[in-house]
Formats: sequence, C-alpha cells, structure tokens
Amino acid sequence: MSTDESQDIDSATTAVQQPDNKTRRYDRQLRLWAASGQNALESARILVLSASATSNAVLKNLVLPGIGHFTLLDPATVSAADAGNNFFLAGPASVGKPRAAEAVPLLRELNESVQGDAVIKHVDDLLADDDGRAYIRGFSLVIAHNLPTSSLDSLSRLLWEDIGDPPLIVVRSAGFLADFFIQFHEQCISQPHTDETPPSLRITRPFPALLEWARELDLDNMDPTDHGHIPFVVILVRIVDDWRREHGGALPATSTEKQAFKAAVRALRRKPDEENFDEAEAQAWRVWAEPAVPSDIAALFTLPPLSGADAPLSETTPNTAFHALLRALAAFVRSERGPGALPLSGALPDMRTDTTSYVRLQTIYKDRARVEKALFGALLAEECPDVAPHVDPEELDTFVKNAHHVRVLRGRRWGAWAADRAAVASSLEMVPRETATHLALNALSTLLNEGPDGSKVSAEALTEEVQKVVGEGVALPSETEDAIGELARAPTAELPNTAAFVGGLVAQEAIKMITRQYVPVDGYCVVDLVDSWTGLVGR
Amino acid sequence: MAAAAVLDGTPAVVDWPDRYHHVDQILDKPGPRTDPSFLAGNEVKDFLRNKCKILVIGAGGLGCEILANLALSGFKDIHVIDMDTIDISNLNRQFLFRPKDVGKPKAIVAAEFIMKRVPGVIVSPYYGKIQDKDDDYYMQFNLVICGLDSVEARRWINATLVNLVDPENPESLKPLIDGGTEGFKGQARVILPTVSSCYECSLDMLNKPTAFPICTIANTPRLPEHCIEWASVLEWPRVFGDKKLDTDDPEHISWLYTTASARAKEFKIEGVTWSLTQGVVKNIIPAIASTNAIIAASCCNEAFKIATSSAAYLNNYFMLIGVDGVYSYTFEHEKRDDCPVCGGEALDISISKEWTVDRLIEMLIEKQDIQIKKPSLSTTTKQIYFQAPPQLEELTRPNLEKKVSELIEDGDHITVTASTLPFNLTLRIKYV
Ligand SMILES: [Zn+2]
Repeated sequence: MSTDESQDIDSATTAVQQPDNKTRRYDRQLRLWAASGQNALESARILVLSASATSNAVLKNLVLPGIGHFTLLDPATVSAADAGNNFFLAGPASVGKPRAAEAVPLLRELNESVQGDAVIKHVDDLLADDDGRAYIRGFSLVIAHNLPTSSLDSLSRLLWEDIGDPPLIVVRSAGFLADFFIQFHEQCISQPHTDETPPSLRITRPFPALLEWARELDLDNMDPTDHGHIPFVVILVRIVDDWRREHGGALPATSTEKQAFKAAVRALRRKPDEENFDEAEAQAWRVWAEPAVPSDIAALFTLPPLSGADAPLSETTPNTAFHALLRALAAFVRSERGPGALPLSGALPDMRTDTTSYVRLQTIYKDRARVEKALFGALLAEECPDVAPHVDPEELDTFVKNAHHVRVLRGRRWGAWAADRAAVASSLEMVPRETATHLALNALSTLLNEGPDGSKVSAEALTEEVQKVVGEGVALPSETEDAIGELARAPTAELPNTAAFVGGLVAQEAIKMITRQYVPVDGYCVVDLVDSWTGLVGR
Repeated sequence: MAAAAVLDGTPAVVDWPDRYHHVDQILDKPGPRTDPSFLAGNEVKDFLRNKCKILVIGAGGLGCEILANLALSGFKDIHVIDMDTIDISNLNRQFLFRPKDVGKPKAIVAAEFIMKRVPGVIVSPYYGKIQDKDDDYYMQFNLVICGLDSVEARRWINATLVNLVDPENPESLKPLIDGGTEGFKGQARVILPTVSSCYECSLDMLNKPTAFPICTIANTPRLPEHCIEWASVLEWPRVFGDKKLDTDDPEHISWLYTTASARAKEFKIEGVTWSLTQGVVKNIIPAIASTNAIIAASCCNEAFKIATSSAAYLNNYFMLIGVDGVYSYTFEHEKRDDCPVCGGEALDISISKEWTVDRLIEMLIEKQDIQIKKPSLSTTTKQIYFQAPPQLEELTRPNLEKKVSELIEDGDHITVTASTLPFNLTLRIKYV
C-alpha cells in the first residue's frame, strides 16, 4: 500500500473485527499467559478449605482472572470477628449464618463466568469415607488455610498416596507472620517465562541456508550500504566458518583466542559507525558459550518418570505428554537426521539491518524451525507410538519453541522436611530468620491443635515445642524469639493486610500450578510483615 | 461528615462487639520488635479509628485493594482521588467494579462500594486530578498511599509532599507509601519526605520505555512494532493533521491496526495484531489481581504500622519478583544529595564545550535520572530557553543553536523548570 492509499477511519474500521468482550476483559492477563494459560484456568476446579479472610482473598484473586470452578468447604458459622475482618461477608448481617454460604455469592459476583458452590461440612467428614476421599481427589487443586494439624495430616497423606493426586497448598498465618507450601508430585513447565537463556541462534552449528548465505558474502566488493546492513548473525557465522578453516575445525577457546576472534570481527568493519559489527562483537559470546544442549535440559533426558524408570508411558502416567516430548527431545539430539542440538525455536531478536535482510533471515530461520519440528514430530511417533497421537499439536509447538528452558520440578510431602533434623539444623545456620519463623509456625499449629482458642499458646510453650522438633542440644538463633514473640502476641489473629498479602502470593502460585507457566515456589515460602520480607526454607 | 455517615437513610453503624478481634490482638500489646513508644490499647485504637485521616491516590488495580484493606484494618476516614472512568479491561482485577459500572468514575464507584460493604467507614471520593488540589488539601492528611501507573503523577505528588515539609511543624511531614506492579513483579516503598530517599531519588531505577529510532520506523522496519509506530507516529498526523489520536477510541485503534497491517504486508513482516497495536500505542503493562493484592497489602500494612506504631515500618523498599518462585528483596534505598526534589545540592553535569543548548536539552529529556519532558532553562541573570509562553519561546529560540559555553561559564549554575513538575533542578555545568 502506498501512503496515498491510506484509508479513512470509516472504511478501515468496518473491515476490522474488534476483540470480543471476553478478550477485552482479560486483556491485561492474556498478555502474560495467553489463550493456553486462560484455557487451563477455565478448566480448573479448585477446592478451598475454610472461608477465612485469607482463603477468600486467595479465591478473589482466582475468580477475577476466570478460574473454572471453586468449592468453598467450611463447617463454621460467621462470628462477629469474621464479620470484621473478611471482605467477602456482608458485615454484621452475615453473623450466625454459614460462613461458606455467605461468602460464595459475594465471590461469584466478581466474575459471572465462574462457577462456585459452598459445602457446609468438616473436611474430617469427607476424609472419613471413600466417597468423600474420591471427591477431594477429583479437584485439580486443593488449598487449605489454618487447617488443624490433625485434619491436615490426613489430608496431605491422602493427596500423597497416588502420583495422580492434585497438588495441595498448605497456608498458615497468625498476626504479621505466615508461611505456605505446595505439596505436589511433579510439575512440568513448558513456558517458564524466565527468559534467562535466550534460545540458540545456531551460529556454531549453522543449518545449510544460513551457512550458504554467510559463505556467499563478498565482503570486499560489497556495496557500502549493504555492508552496513549484514545481520550480525550472518557476520558471526562467516567469521566462525573462516576461523574453523584456519584452526583445524576448532572454535576459539582460550581468552587469547576469544580476543583474536573479536579482533577478526573488528577487522571486517569498514567504517566506525557500522552498528551491525558492534552487535556482532557484543554477541560473540554465542560462539563459545552456547552449548548444543544446556546442562539443565540434558539432565532431564535421564530423569525417569515418577511411574518408574522402565515403565512405559501410558495414559495413567502423570504428565504423559510432557514426558513423551522429553523422550522425543533426547532422541532429536541423538538423531543423525538432526542438528545434534536442541530444535531451533524460530525466534529471532531484532538487530541492526535493513528490512529485506531481516525478513530473509527470519524466513530461513522459520523454514528451518518448521523442518526440525517435523523431524521432532516423527521422532515422537517413533519413540512413543502410543502417546504421540494424543499429544496436542499446540503443546508440541510450545514445547519445541521453549525446548531450551523447559523445567521439571519434583515436590515433597507436606511436613517431611521438618522431620529431617540434620537439614533443619543446617537451615537454622544458613537462613536463621526464615527457618525460625517456619518452626515457630509449626509449633503454633501444634499448640492450636490442642486449644484452638489460643489458650495453650505462650512464648514458653512455643519455645519448648520448637526445641522438641530441632532436638534438645540444638541452639536456637535469636531470630526465634522474634518470631515466637509475635505469635504469642497474636496467636489467632488474621490481620486483613496479612490475609491480602498471603492471598496474593498463594493465588500467584495457584495460577502457576494450573497454567504450567512460570515457576512455582519449591519449598516453604515464609512471610514476615513486621520487617517486610519473604524467604524460602526446606527446598 | 454526618451526611456521609448515613447510608440509605440508615444511621451510622457503631462498632459491634468483637468487630476488631483480630486487629486488636496486635493493638493490645507490643511484640518483641515493637518500639517502646507504642501506646497499646485504647489510645492507639482511638487514633486509628477516630482521628487518623488517610489519602489514597488512584482507585485502580492497587487502589481498589488499598481501600478494602484500609477499611478492614480500622481506618475510618479515607479519601480517594482518581481521574479515570471504568473500562472493561479493568474488570480482571479492579474488584470493586462490575460490568454495569463501565464508564463511571472509579473514585466514586469504589467509595460507594467500600462504604456499603464495611459499615461505619467514610470514603470521600474526588473524581479529578491530583494537581487540582492545593497544599491545604494535602496538609489535612496523616498519611498518603499511592497506587498509580503514571510516573508523572508520582513525581508530582512526591515533590508536593516534600515541599510541604516545614521543619518547624512536625505535622507537615506526611509519610508517602508508594506501590507499583507489572505482571508478576511489583514494589512497595515508604518515603518520609526530606528524611528518606524520595521517588525522584530513585528515578534511574525505572525501566526505560522502549523507543524505536525514527529512521528504523521510516526506512527499515523489521518488527511488527515498527509498523505500528509508523502508523501512529508518522501516518496519523500526515493523514489527520491536528486531530488528536485517542488511544481509548476503538475506531482509532482499528485505523492504526489496518494501516500498520498494510505496511507490514508490504514489507513481508508478520505479527501485527489488534492486541499488539493496542499494547504498543497505549504502552499497556500486563496486570493481574494477585500481584496487585500483594503490593497493595504491603502498602496498607506499612500504613497500619506507621499509624499505630504497633511494629517497625519498612525501611524503605520492598521488591517482589514472582516469575521464578517467590523472590523478594527488602533494602534501604539511599537518599541522593543531588536529588532535585529532596537533595538541596546542584547536579553536576559534564558536557563538551561544543554542545549546543539544543543538545543539552536533548540530554535532559533522555537522561535516566532526569527525564524532564519539556525543560526550560535559565540562570539567575539570563533566560536561556523557555518552552512557554509563545512570545518568550520565540525570543529565546535562537539560543538553541548557540553553544552552551557561549552563555555559561565553567562551574556556573543553570536552573531547569518544567510546567508538569513542581520543582526546579539546578545543574552545575562543567566543560570537558
Ligand atoms: Zn529525593
């Protein structure tokens, strides 16, 4: 279109399909997790135990972005204190009525596309029979806030029995202090969004079209404008090619060689203002610091699925598709038909060049990425013939594009860490305030289990409890007193700000678990809102 | 006060027994890290619930959360300012608004919602700009919390509160608590005007907005963003002249989208979408409920601690990154002696003797710790360049081409002002 043909507003807008209301409503979050993340959220069914201020704060942050369904399980009736600290109750008008039933409509009105119901029952009643246990296991995620330890032990055990059981987020808070932990078997993340390792551009392993371009460059007789527009990728491929010819196929390895390589880049520059050569020099690290397969990814090739090292992948293996894709990735790297590296992502950063060269480069990268994805698909079918037909093409596409930084996390059972005395003792030395706070919250849970009104809680009783857990001989750091003192001050206080803070953190983690995008916290996340910090123990 | 306390014709609700059961556990006794000046019991409760007056700036993503937290914490005299109306894209996080509220002023809808949900709390809304209010207005508050997405507005309120400080009058020091989020990241900070690092002191911590060179946009587009910038920066004024581009008008976005798509097609560039077009021209920052909840809670927790002295408050910066696990960093941001707002010392600037006034102005706009959009320059004796009024601009325009060294001696001071910012920046020029 030439500039004279610019359309006026009317004719332009009639042709354009504007986004629908749902897309407009979710615009600010779709920019983070896209339609795939949104679909995952909308398919999720979560169970939340207790309609406390904290639980309701978590739910608010999940209803707003459009979780599919939630069930709020709580046997309690609304107290005068609840009516004062919980935004999702109707103030004094709710007092005396079932807490879950009062909260659900006020949560649902935040987003009419979300389903939600209240169940006025104690979790112990559900845990007591097969139907109840199956019901709990049928959710995609369970979140429990300040659940008595007796119930929590049974619940966490239940959800640890089978590798297919849903993750459980255990949340505890009192006064200014809180912690939470995600009990999960395995979390496979194909889109971590961490962006710490940019995908390889294959400069040292160029595919044919790229190498051809680099070799055909007539650097000495080129038009000066064209010379200033050679993309840095092509410059580097060319210099690597020349370097290898002169060094028996080896790449620069010592720091002298690396300097010599950079000097070779500078030597080709004709004018001081050729920014494409500046870029080539700045990006030269890719020549020596880009492994064929990053070590984190290589480690995944030998990771046995949770179902057992030699067990064939089947429908019942958790994260079947992901493990099949991992096997295909390992096969891809081994394959003689492949590049001996991870598949090309197809993404290209912006660089100093003209439109024609950039589009040409982008086209050859995209074409090559398509070829390698096809090979990857073929290897998937060879390696995992039973699973391959069930792998969603979009999932395969995402996996290949992110192959350089996919992650697999393996979780632990709730409470397992605190029983490991050696680990706790070393943690008390390494991260004293975080560890002390977590242990103090453990002690508080124990004492509240004996007297839910807080009557058994005192600084002395808490200290005694902590000492019992770490062992009599272990010296407690001074931070222990800080944490214990705060808990003794407000053992049953659920502060509105602490509830909102923890509600935000837990909802973020729930979104990560559900969308399998971003990286959830691995360990106990500890919060202190006196000194305003968060920390991590028990990794 | 009396009129506002009566909702729907029903009298003001008195606190019911046990209403503050949770918060009172904190207010009735000190913790191990509580300052000895803490007045546990009725005195602190009376101040919080009957005397303390707090201002919330912004009733958007952070503002909605802030208002709810303050109301539940026991603040009862809350004021809120916001100049925006509700858009459908707010509903994924601004939880006091419903689809029926789209188009209405945020401050008013938010205030009504809080008063209905939390009995006995008065929220006084103002639908307008913070710049509409004078020093007397700001002087009435004990605390100010900001949940803004505009750097310009933050700089304004920060400078206003610093200027408000009268060393003779301790009441004139208004703690400013500021929050901000982007996707899974955010920060909260406490600013004690003139005492601790202010917003202006940390201007260089901001991410620089992506700016595409005009020659790339005009001659060598490579990315879909370049085509969109071409449509909005070059084509719109060419086709529509003085007509202002309204990025909230879907028809305008449609035109940009169509125009950018056509250019992209011509250059074989892929990836121009409606969403990207809107994102680029409106400079949209991704925003979710959960991150806003964390940061707003952190701001309100600091406000609660400052108002009650029940625990030490943040000194002075809390940063959260929730992308990879939960990572946060709490640190003290240092006050800058050459901060134009709170520092008092001139900012040393080294420039070449060859630099023109125009080049110096370009630097003032670009430099990360200055970022003054339309600077006017003068000395105690000379007018160097003034952006307004038009006659003065015309009179001083010839100076733009002159070398700074022709006008200013080495070591002399230049005063920089801008109509959008309520402070002067003093530069000490050094030639290198
Ligand atoms: Zn300052």
